[in-house]
Amino acid sequence: MTRSLRLIGIYAHRTFLEWMTWRGFLVTLVLGQCVTPVLGFAVWSAALPDASNLSTYYISLLVVQLMTVFQLDHTLANPIYRGTLSHQLVRPHSPILGTLGTCFAERLWFVIIGAPVVGLLVFLSNVPLVVANVLLALPALALAMVVRFLFTLALALTAFWTQQAHGIVAFGATLTFLIGGSAVPILYFPDPLRSVAESSPFSAMLGLPAAIASGSLNRDQVVMGYAWQAVWLAVFLIVTVVVWRSGVRRFTAVGG
Amino acid sequence: MKLLRLSCAIFAMSLKADLAHRSNILFQVLLSLAAAGSSLITVQIIFSRTDHLGGWTLHEAVILFGTFTILGGILLTFVEPNVLWFHQRVIAGQLDEVLVKPAPSLFLLSLGRHAPLGLVQAVIGAVIVAWGISLSGDAFPVWRGLVWLTLLAVAAVITWVTRVLVALISLWVPGLALDVVYDGAWQFGRYPVTMYRQPARFVLTWVLPVAFITTVPARALTRGVSPQLLGASLAFGFVAIMILRLVWMSGLRRYTSATS
Repeated sequence: MTRSLRLIGIYAHRTFLEWMTWRGFLVTLVLGQCVTPVLGFAVWSAALPDASNLSTYYISLLVVQLMTVFQLDHTLANPIYRGTLSHQLVRPHSPILGTLGTCFAERLWFVIIGAPVVGLLVFLSNVPLVVANVLLALPALALAMVVRFLFTLALALTAFWTQQAHGIVAFGATLTFLIGGSAVPILYFPDPLRSVAESSPFSAMLGLPAAIASGSLNRDQVVMGYAWQAVWLAVFLIVTVVVWRSGVRRFTAVGG
Repeated sequence: MKLLRLSCAIFAMSLKADLAHRSNILFQVLLSLAAAGSSLITVQIIFSRTDHLGGWTLHEAVILFGTFTILGGILLTFVEPNVLWFHQRVIAGQLDEVLVKPAPSLFLLSLGRHAPLGLVQAVIGAVIVAWGISLSGDAFPVWRGLVWLTLLAVAAVITWVTRVLVALISLWVPGLALDVVYDGAWQFGRYPVTMYRQPARFVLTWVLPVAFITTVPARALTRGVSPQLLGASLAFGFVAIMILRLVWMSGLRRYTSATS
């Protein structure tokens, strides 16, 4: 365990330094991720000008988006297509450790670049943040990171079977945007759809932490939200392990 | 005429290549249907809570979304395959191949490769527009449809110009790839520009002209446009092409090939 953690740390450090060359591109990536919450906020503040908590919700959602989005279709699917995953497979540890290290480096860069953007928005909009709600949302944010990582990983691993992994990951991101609470806050879904959206993995990955941080949920809804996050974490963990094991058996690469 | 023939030949060759992988066609159809379907559900949910969005009713918003989807399909088919990660071609000196061929370099650079499967999205967009028209329950005059088609063509030109201009920035700053930012900004076109507050509305009208790309054509179909606005849109499209030509000629002087 300690060895694995040390390896993840080494990979994260190495990737962080490598990506320093691409810091301009990373800024555009962060700005790109800011668009969907801003768009959702623009739509709903125009549709419901008197709605309370909307700015708090969407600023929280921006934080969740920046903390949970992963570019695994590039960092993992591309090595599968190029055949360079073989380099990682022959190392005396799981290739997933390298992927995890890359994801931690990515998070660090997103925090460094995204923090001033979020700070500026909080300052300009003067949103009423309740510390207790923010603290209550932190475990949900951590769970959302893990669930979305596993979800994106499972989609990116379809690269073992199809050339369309980038499209599949993009489609997953579109569904997360539409059903996860960005295009429409879950609370605004009409009743039959609302319970479906609340129990969906997309809410667990995006909307739930933002709804808790903005104080939009009562105690029972928070408990139920955490329960669904635990369920989806278990489901995606199993799915990812199964997909990874069967995918690696299919993988072939030429050269050395 | 020569460029049109060349364009048809490129499209036919790309289509043959795409048809070799039929599962990709099915996948693209399913993906486009699901994305459009869930976006329409989102629009329905928004209108279940309000009657107007930026002064637009449900059927008008559906027509606007359909127009946006058609233009997204055109962008995906004819422009994106040429300019995606364009900065890498600049850095690697790979523009030589378009500069030495006997056809206008700007044409080859920005429209020389096609991805015909993207047209699936455009077809879905046309169906959505038809559905929006049927939702209104009114009879639409034919001239409105013709004006809409004209403005759609202008919007396609403006889309091509803005996307290529964004890519050409890498001729001055090779390390700067704004593909992701453009993709994000493009999403603002799925709703009427009147919905946004100032200064966002100004930016979306004059800097990244989303207003001319989706709002104006959709407005032409739903309520008609004044001759002045139609003329302004045509002039905007013409000026946009001129700007693109100037920027390309100026940027080309900065390009140093990999082989000379």
